[in-house]
Amino acid sequence: MEGRISRHPILGVQNEGKKTVTFLYDGKPMQGFEGEPIAAALKANGVVIHRYTAKQHKPRGIFCAIGRCTDCVMVVDGKPNIRTCMTPLKEGMDVRTQYGVSPKPFDQQ
Amino acid sequence: MKIKRFDLIVVGAGPSGLSAAIEAAKSGLKTVVFDENARPGGQLFKQIHKFFGSKEHKAKIRGFHIGEQLLKEADEAGVEVVLNATVIGLYQDHEVVVRLGEEVHHYKADAVLIATGAAENMVLFDGWTLPGVMGAGAAQTLMNLYGVKPGNRVLMLGSGNVGLVVSYQLLQAGCQVVALVDAAPKIGGYGVHAAKVARTGVPFYLSHTIKTVEGEDHVTGVTIAQVDNHFQFIEGTEKHFDVDTVCVAVGLSPMSQLMKMAGCAMEDNPKRGGQVPLLDEYGMTSVPGVFSAGDVSGIEEASSAMIEGRMAGTAIAEYLGFITKEERDRNLEALNNSLSGLRQGMFAPANRGKDIKETEEGIPISQNLLHHGFVTDEEIMRFPGVTHQDRIHPVIECTQNIPCNPCQDACHIHCIKIGDKITQLPAVDTTKTCINCGMCVASCPGQAIFLVNEDEGDGTATVTLPYEFLPLPEVGAKGKALSRSGQPLCDAEVTQVRTAPAFDSTALLTMKVPKEYAMRARFFKA
Amino acid sequence: MDELQDRSRDIGPFVAQPDDDMIVCRCEEVTKGEIRKAVHEGLYTIPEIRRFLRCGMGLCQGQTCAKLVKSIVARELKVSPAVLEPATSRSPMRPIEMHVFADEKEDDE
Repeated sequence: MEGRISRHPILGVQNEGKKTVTFLYDGKPMQGFEGEPIAAALKANGVVIHRYTAKQHKPRGIFCAIGRCTDCVMVVDGKPNIRTCMTPLKEGMDVRTQYGVSPKPFDQQ
Repeated sequence: MKIKRFDLIVVGAGPSGLSAAIEAAKSGLKTVVFDENARPGGQLFKQIHKFFGSKEHKAKIRGFHIGEQLLKEADEAGVEVVLNATVIGLYQDHEVVVRLGEEVHHYKADAVLIATGAAENMVLFDGWTLPGVMGAGAAQTLMNLYGVKPGNRVLMLGSGNVGLVVSYQLLQAGCQVVALVDAAPKIGGYGVHAAKVARTGVPFYLSHTIKTVEGEDHVTGVTIAQVDNHFQFIEGTEKHFDVDTVCVAVGLSPMSQLMKMAGCAMEDNPKRGGQVPLLDEYGMTSVPGVFSAGDVSGIEEASSAMIEGRMAGTAIAEYLGFITKEERDRNLEALNNSLSGLRQGMFAPANRGKDIKETEEGIPISQNLLHHGFVTDEEIMRFPGVTHQDRIHPVIECTQNIPCNPCQDACHIHCIKIGDKITQLPAVDTTKTCINCGMCVASCPGQAIFLVNEDEGDGTATVTLPYEFLPLPEVGAKGKALSRSGQPLCDAEVTQVRTAPAFDSTALLTMKVPKEYAMRARFFKA
Repeated sequence: MDELQDRSRDIGPFVAQPDDDMIVCRCEEVTKGEIRKAVHEGLYTIPEIRRFLRCGMGLCQGQTCAKLVKSIVARELKVSPAVLEPATSRSPMRPIEMHVFADEKEDDE
């Protein structure tokens, strides 16, 4: 996971001792730390697009990272509009790109 | 329906909310704090730099350590902190509606304190919705809370303290900061914060702003351009940078919607950051029993939010009859003194927007610092912390009046004098002999102190500087000494690297340079 | 405030600008041009603009765009943003599913 800070000059080794879990991103297995926000795990894996907007079909990603802007919402375990920056990652979670409010790309809706 | 009652409900477990809850609980109030986040502490745990101020303001302690102390204190005082608890409404008779998991709960209290903090402002530019454009706070959250890099190559928009501090933290996280850009003609934050970024080689572009962020489905580049006095782009001044991330740090706005909902009288006050409640001298809104403290009642620093919180907690304890008026006034007097200590100097709320040309001592402010982020070699010599001596001595590049004095306390030899007025520029007493302990270098929250021996007797000089990056260079490492502007000056060799628990993760790196560079070399690059 | 209620006040014609396509409300995808046009169509207050265009009425409830919308409207009306009354604040303050919003629990005293 090249997006991780391996050792920080002030904070040392972050995420030390945390359990690694496997989750699905658009059906593809990915790893992250249990309990970290889904958005952090995605970012560490190089995923920057969380959803495409309903009207203009434009990509969006992490914007505020503290649950205010709701731009990072995705379809998580079948539920749309889940704020991935606030939702803790769990083993086996099914995380999907959100198209409008659906996990299906627009041409399949 | 049955409603659970408290003496005090606090909304927001940040610096002000927790401080208020601690004071209230100490006075015997049954207090609960609701916070929508999974962790308490608000933004404190993202603040990894050392705070300014004096001992009573917890100066030179890093923000996240202050957060840990605050949580411990809250725990000891018996404050109940409920996390993942989203307050969704505030109604008549202090009824607070809270979402807990998949349920909605109603609570009532004799007093309510709103300490919901602030949200980041944004500016519009072409491409601002692309993935990769984010608030500076978002970048801070990712790297400092979750250990994830916000990006590899980053452009920062905004030169206030948030923009400056987060730029430095991006460098600490191993990201590259390609430029620091601000539409304003002058740097908004503390000069020392700017200087520590500039000396690593980050260029500052004042009177510039973002024209376009480029990229098909995520950020791949950014074009900035110069703006005139009316903030209109000047043709032909465009500069392009390849970046994957653009951070925006253009100020904060109070998140005061709960108080508006409760019917508190509000005002739009640009000096306090936007919509804020009208408060009486005890922090009470126009709705009896509803109080407010911290950024939600006016944007300031975490240090002042903590004091405001303690003041509100004290005022609420008296309001509900848990302490006497005399006790309250005694507590408030001490807290007020502490708060006014922080609200002094060039950056005090009262001085916002003023064009200050001279320091309190009558020394002209470095214009280069305001426009480019660093003090020039000529300008630096006029400040009282910069002296020439024929032995090792501290060189204090602190050139603006800010409320901060840890350097004075750090020096046991009393080389460094600020005096009773906390905003005075530190002066070096040349009659005292520096023992090269390094405590001043490590304790300066602005990283503005260097230990310099201008002549080692062999044509070289040594410069000791604060170093907070990885990998930490080893003794014998050869590289370049950089100037205050981050330009390579000359060859340099690391002769000593000191770390100690008392330095609190700041390493002291000593480099040897040709002696003509003693007063110019301020950073080491391997 | 009275000045704002005077709908016959001449604010000049709507003049197209090059950045009218710029998204202002990220959630509901409302552009700067749409907001400016709405002002010229006689919508002088933030609540009216919100109801008409839905800007600030999406998932984030105007957390990001409220200040931006206000400044755009103020500029069209040639008034200071400070004189524009912000939108009404209502519960729920954060996005919440209806089944949760309706699930009120009782607590023991």
